[in-house]
Amino acid sequence: MDQTLDISKLSEADKKELTQFLQNESQKSAIQQNVHHIADTCWKKCITSNISSGRLDKTEEACASNCVDRWMDTNLAVLKHLETLQRQ
Amino acid sequence: MALFGSSSSAAPATSSPEQQEIKTAIVKQLQAEAAMANARQLIGKVNEHCFDHCVPSPGSTMTPGESSCLSSCMEKYISLWNVTSKAYLSRASAERKNNGIDTIAMNSLATGGPAPQSSL
Repeated sequence: MDQTLDISKLSEADKKELTQFLQNESQKSAIQQNVHHIADTCWKKCITSNISSGRLDKTEEACASNCVDRWMDTNLAVLKHLETLQRQ
Repeated sequence: MALFGSSSSAAPATSSPEQQEIKTAIVKQLQAEAAMANARQLIGKVNEHCFDHCVPSPGSTMTPGESSCLSSCMEKYISLWNVTSKAYLSRASAERKNNGIDTIAMNSLATGGPAPQSSL
């Protein structure tokens, strides 16, 4: 960056626009973080045989897709059950 | 990231060229940093998993078999990442639409990811 970025010089409209941009970026980064975590988990579950090709075979692809859905089910189930525990 | 719309909204009525410049610089820097952080994560995971998979017992030199395994493994990990991303986004969008659940924020509790500032 050439000079220091002086945010105070920005107009209110600019600040608002940047805030919106930041929220979008923050959401995007949260999604990417979740995908990194899930891909890590699903790699362990779905890629178990010797790697002979750079492409996913049919079984691996189906496994990965199911893995994401079941991971999500698990996350929702855990949080739901946690809620019932808290109420007791 | 079509799910959440494009990140740039309509330009405001009046901004001086200097203001525009500052704004663009901030946006560009943030995007570059986010892309770098994402790439770093991916590289770390590829390294970890492919080393595990392709070099089970490290010898004094890398064998041709190990090298070719690493290339395939890398490509496969990226393919898996892309499949995961696609499946994840479609599920998250379905949960939001059908059940009104913001799964992204909920998932962050399990993944240790940053909690999004707000749902958009």
